[in-house]
Amino acid sequence: MINLVDAILSLVLLSILLSFGSSRLPVLIKVIGFQGIVVSCVPLFIGNDLSATGIAFNIATLSIRGIIIPLSIYIAIKKVAIRRDVEPIYGHHASMLAWLGLIVAAAFISDKFNLPAITDHALLMPTAIALLAGGMFLLMGHRNAIAMVLGYIMMENGIYLVGTTFSTSSRHIVEFGILLDVLAGVMIMAVILQNIKKQFDDVDTELLKNLKE
Amino acid sequence: MVEIVFLIPFLTGIAAFFLSGASGRMLLVITGAFHLLFSVMLLAGWSEPFYPAYFSVTPEGLLSLIVISLLFFLISIYTTAYIKKSDIRSENIFTGSMLLFLSTMTMVTLSDHIMVMWIAIEATTLASAPLIYTHRSAASLEATWKYVLVCSVGIALALLGSVLITLSMDMGRVDVPVSFSALTAVAKQLDPLWLKTGFVFILVGYGTKMGLAPMHTWLPDAHGEAPSPASALLSGVLLNCAYLGIFKTHKIMIAAGLESFSGTILMVFGLMSMLAAATFILKQTEYKRLLAYSSIENMGIIAFGTGIGGLGAYGAMLCLIHHSLIKSSLFLASGNIFLAFGSRLIEDTGSLVRRLPQTFIAFFSGFIGIAGLPPFGIFIGELFIIMGAFSNGHYVAAGIFILSLCVVFAGFANHVLKISFEGYRTSVRMEESINMIWPPYALLLTSLLLCFWIPETFSWNISQAVKAIGGVF
Repeated sequence: MINLVDAILSLVLLSILLSFGSSRLPVLIKVIGFQGIVVSCVPLFIGNDLSATGIAFNIATLSIRGIIIPLSIYIAIKKVAIRRDVEPIYGHHASMLAWLGLIVAAAFISDKFNLPAITDHALLMPTAIALLAGGMFLLMGHRNAIAMVLGYIMMENGIYLVGTTFSTSSRHIVEFGILLDVLAGVMIMAVILQNIKKQFDDVDTELLKNLKE
Repeated sequence: MVEIVFLIPFLTGIAAFFLSGASGRMLLVITGAFHLLFSVMLLAGWSEPFYPAYFSVTPEGLLSLIVISLLFFLISIYTTAYIKKSDIRSENIFTGSMLLFLSTMTMVTLSDHIMVMWIAIEATTLASAPLIYTHRSAASLEATWKYVLVCSVGIALALLGSVLITLSMDMGRVDVPVSFSALTAVAKQLDPLWLKTGFVFILVGYGTKMGLAPMHTWLPDAHGEAPSPASALLSGVLLNCAYLGIFKTHKIMIAAGLESFSGTILMVFGLMSMLAAATFILKQTEYKRLLAYSSIENMGIIAFGTGIGGLGAYGAMLCLIHHSLIKSSLFLASGNIFLAFGSRLIEDTGSLVRRLPQTFIAFFSGFIGIAGLPPFGIFIGELFIIMGAFSNGHYVAAGIFILSLCVVFAGFANHVLKISFEGYRTSVRMEESINMIWPPYALLLTSLLLCFWIPETFSWNISQAVKAIGGVF
């Protein structure tokens, strides 16, 4: 049981590497979907709540984080049919190096925290931090608006992992409210993406620099 | 059943998406009137929430709610006149989003659960995004994109902060509901390290939404590009909602005995915002962005006052209320200027005193009020903050505070004088209509009235709110 959680979390860590190394948007979207599925499954495995409502909420979370959100971005991309390659500002090699640094830093930091709730799962905290920081990195490291939205989703996944696994006091209905907010936010971003493409014929945020001061 | 206050605008908001122009506008005003009625009833003491675990009526929430309600009612009347004269195309989306925006902001003022507060604040971002994109131009698209992305990412950090605060409960082995009121009651038992970390994330997160520098980048764009009634709501009350999140967390910090930590951070962010506003206000070319930077300055003043505590906290609360009233009045006046001159640039305007005399009165009095001159309330608020800063020994901070106030005043005055008296435009596109004049007047008069006479329940709520953050009355 314990090893299973850590095993799938290690896959998430690798998927962050993939998201840093890949320049194809569909790959990025699949990575985000995969991470969404894993982070929604983790609470089931570490057994906070195995009641019927708990499982129902988990399935709903899984379908929104793992399927609906990535799918809505995918549809947005299809509709706008832009060049599907994105290049990080710092280049791929620097990004890979950053990933390594990120993992080391995340492991180092989470070691300091010494949280009793998660001592059984060595990779939980590092993965959460890596997702958060990795999302930030994607967000800042790209000029492509779609990649920025994907970074935001990755960050949200990280926060969800922190939230559901560390605190035992949150309620499903509240969690679900948060999820709906995130979903609506992503939908709105997808609509804006389409409009940006229509207006500027590209989704490079360099084009969005007319308003200053 | 306090929840009805935000459920009504939610339902009417959804209905408004399917209504045609005239009936949608009617619905806007009627909902505004009902909302005001319910808010006054809350002030009069009707305060039983249906879900007490998530919602409660607090003094600071009630104050914000009354301000939101009054502003929205007046703005909705202004909006009916504004829409007719402007080129807003999808009117149903505009009115529907306005109502949903009202609903989500009301929810912020009533929420007591930390996560519900977060949900409500994020929902305000989503509900107001279509308002900014109303004009469908490239610039408004850019502003909307920045607004949604910067605020969503910022608020995501606030979510992390909220999670960390629940973690501080677990670490301190406290088992209470995750509500601001319950946490304030047991604050001493919370784990201080995680509480501090949580506060920093919440301040950065909600501070983004409140427009504190250096996270303010979205604010001038959004306020500049949105139609004026929406800008008035954004600046007048949305910023207050984000402040409420910070205020309530600060309350926990004070109850936990960590006020020097949170107070110092608030002061630093406050002063940074004031300095940033002072730098950018001098060379503004658009009058709505000018007003937006003034909002950043005022949010800085409020954060600074809150951080000082004591008399400063009382001053901050006064500034919060009066800034809402005066700034929204200024934005409504700027809407008239925009319709009349057809441009957002300061250089395209001029001779306001002759071309739009009634708007000029609102605009110029608003300027006097926002610049912190008597007889308006911001003067008293700023005076209290400065006195509070001196009495607590923050001499350098008070010096920076006064310096930024002077620079902002100089920059603002320069632009306002240009708009009001210089230039010799002979014709304007619009006659001033009565419904576009009296709402800004009413807002200014309310601010004026509140300086000389405060209703007893209102002043009781102010003193209660201020007392909770270590203020004196």
